[in-house]
Amino acid sequence: MSALLEVHDVVRSFGGVRAVDGASLDVEAGSITSLIGPNGAGKSTLFNIVSGFLRAEAGTVTFEGRRIDRLPPHRIAQAGLVRTFQTARALARMTVLDNVVLAAPRQPGERLLRNVVGAGATRRREREVRLRAQELLALVRLDGHADELAATLSGGQRKLLDFARALMTEPRLVLLDEPMAGVSPVLRGELLEHVVSLREHHGVTVLLVEHDLEVVMGVSDRVVVMSDGAVIAAGPPDGVRSDARVVDAYLGVEA
Amino acid sequence: MFVQLLANGLVTGAVYAIAAVGVSLVYGILRIVHFAYGDLMTLGAFVAVTFDTTLGLGMVVATFAAMVAAAALSVGLDFALWRPLRARRANFMSLFLASIGLALVLRQAIFLAWGPQPRAFDVDPFEVYTLGSVRLSGAQVIAIVVAVVAIVLVGLLLSFTTLGRTMRAVADDRALAAVAGIDTGRVVLATWVLSGALAALAGVLAGLVQSTFDPNFGFTLLLPVFAAVVLGGIGNAYGALAGGFLLGIVTELSTWEGFGGGVDPVYKPVVAFAVLIVVLLARPQGLLGRARLV
Amino acid sequence: MSVLTSGEFWAFVGVVAGVYTILTLGLQIEFGYAGLLNFGHVAFMAVGSYTMAILVVKSGWSMWLAAPVAVLASSVAGVLLGLATLRLRADYFAIVTIALSEIVRYVATNEDRLTGGSQGTINLAGAEEASDYNGQWQRFQDWFQEALHLGSKDVAMLLLVWAAALVLTALVALSARTPWGRVLRAIREDEDAARSLGKNVFAYKLQALAFGSALAGIAGLFYAWQFAFFSPADFAPLLTFFAWMILILGGVGRAWAVPVGALVFGVIFAGTRFFEFAPFTWFDSAERAYLRLMVIGLVLIGLILFRPQGLLGRREELVLE
Repeated sequence: MSALLEVHDVVRSFGGVRAVDGASLDVEAGSITSLIGPNGAGKSTLFNIVSGFLRAEAGTVTFEGRRIDRLPPHRIAQAGLVRTFQTARALARMTVLDNVVLAAPRQPGERLLRNVVGAGATRRREREVRLRAQELLALVRLDGHADELAATLSGGQRKLLDFARALMTEPRLVLLDEPMAGVSPVLRGELLEHVVSLREHHGVTVLLVEHDLEVVMGVSDRVVVMSDGAVIAAGPPDGVRSDARVVDAYLGVEA
Repeated sequence: MFVQLLANGLVTGAVYAIAAVGVSLVYGILRIVHFAYGDLMTLGAFVAVTFDTTLGLGMVVATFAAMVAAAALSVGLDFALWRPLRARRANFMSLFLASIGLALVLRQAIFLAWGPQPRAFDVDPFEVYTLGSVRLSGAQVIAIVVAVVAIVLVGLLLSFTTLGRTMRAVADDRALAAVAGIDTGRVVLATWVLSGALAALAGVLAGLVQSTFDPNFGFTLLLPVFAAVVLGGIGNAYGALAGGFLLGIVTELSTWEGFGGGVDPVYKPVVAFAVLIVVLLARPQGLLGRARLV
Repeated sequence: MSVLTSGEFWAFVGVVAGVYTILTLGLQIEFGYAGLLNFGHVAFMAVGSYTMAILVVKSGWSMWLAAPVAVLASSVAGVLLGLATLRLRADYFAIVTIALSEIVRYVATNEDRLTGGSQGTINLAGAEEASDYNGQWQRFQDWFQEALHLGSKDVAMLLLVWAAALVLTALVALSARTPWGRVLRAIREDEDAARSLGKNVFAYKLQALAFGSALAGIAGLFYAWQFAFFSPADFAPLLTFFAWMILILGGVGRAWAVPVGALVFGVIFAGTRFFEFAPFTWFDSAERAYLRLMVIGLVLIGLILFRPQGLLGRREELVLE
């Protein structure tokens, strides 16, 4: 049975330096997989390639059996593979609610003329979408801020907003780009709970990038380790943690 | 005919190149798309023509006077306008729009001070130099010689002096330069002085070559100059030089009959724009610009 | 001074303000909503005016058919601009759009047979026929004046322009509140975020250009109807800059700020004609024209420095900083 996401021998260089050098990994449906590795291992680049923001020079990326490596990012998102960004990209001058509402798929109103012709259906869907957005905001406890501009949210709150927005797209796979970066320890626990709930309550598969192994140990079904552009180890967290090559890769990086 | 056009192209290109370096420095170091630069060139030409014909002090004095005036104005404007904007951390849009406003003000001031009649420098229009099959007017020869000298001097400044290297460092990466402890205040001042002087020089040379000019002529030159800057990769002074010469030559050569009849000379500016657009379609960062993750 | 209260003069100012409103509405969509730095906007106005004039005078079309076709032509031109330039970074895009609008002006100036050349549409045919599009409009305008028992042609034109301007402003304001408008705003905020949520950013930008350029085309129609004859010099970059000024003066991002900005701009521009005090009295009337433009430039700088949100914009929603 093929995995939900299959990355095979992906290569990408920048100005002569191979940031990703033949990386391969699989993500099984319904799992939480963590992609870890020291700085410069190529994790972000691989992320950008999988989500369509960068083009691979070689290799393939397959999602639900379909090749996506040549697709533009918005098509990949429409196909059910959604990513967040390391610095939470809240749409600052829009309200918190609008941030989430925006993410809903299948909005006829996004075609300008559908607001004139077939306006009834457009209005109905808009009402549906707003209700769902309120629900998701309540989930991340931002519903109190619904009508404020997203610019007023703190860094941690913006990460939660990112979550809610990603969920709104009804994804099948969510790529979380260093969700814990710049987040206070207090908020970390809450975020981790949300990550787990993605799988538990929403049936969403998760692939997350982190560079701290310990943070993701408790939640991951599987851990993939990258170093110098390639995958050096993959498996259950305990096995990976004690893998000599992994320890090696982190030597000098850990305090 | 081809060689003649090539020579003409070199002259036009030289003028574009000087102006393009000034624009490029201002953009690279201050992140301002200096829309008033064309009018600064006009100012240079008009100040020079006043010193040359009205005061009868000759071209050399006139040119220096123009360069000083433009440099001083540029520095003054930094204090009056650009500094306050920097303090407000104005973004690209604000700076661009402010420079548009400035261009308006400057041009109208020139109209008010000098009137709309075309002017000309005090040069002998019949002085012609012949080199093989190429004929160049005295004005054109002066323009090329002065331009080359200026370009070499600027090149030396940028490559071999501390100030020059500092300026290039700031243009390349301002955050990094600030961290490295570079005195950006000095660099900013130097940028305005140099770009102002270059604008005046370009204006004078353009006025010389064109034989007559009116207060609108700087702005007409500005767009090909912008094209040259973008062509060379915005913020890259050497690229601007290359872009200037390239555009000047291509523009003139495009009228050669050998190219399927040649482009109607009236459309020369259009050629410059067309070249720009075509290059950007193929290479969005410009010829010498660095590819960014677009 | 009697001209100050001259109804005719102010009606004229009002008409021009109305035309500018429609033009700037297009810019509001392109920049205020979608964040596109289109500095060649006036070119699409030219496409509208010229397309209508050429179709009526040279091809004998009815003006009522030529007008919508002209608007369509402007819209298509906007899309073509987008296809060629949207992949450029913002600053290059701004410069290239100016270059493209100048190309349009150059072509209009030099293709005499098509456009009448630098002398303008008066050259398209004999003076009688050449303003046929205006003639057909005048007949409509006269009918309108009769129907409403209006005293003068100027008032009739004023009402017609502003009826159109206000309807269009309402349409633009409504479009902003649709999910479509929401996507545009998201693109203005953060394109990559919008892409990551499944929005085809490129397509939406093209739509913004199509809509914005269509509005510019409509402005071109009214310009042609008001002035009868026009030439390429009427569509110089200065007009684009006026539109940008009006946009900022009113407030970026709000449709109803545009007519306000246009009216205030019109009053400033026209009103300075009447300043009978120093230092204005030092200048003769030819020089005052330069002074007027200088004032405009200073107002623009002042806005950027002291009130970038314009008259009706909100500080939190500042696009300029």
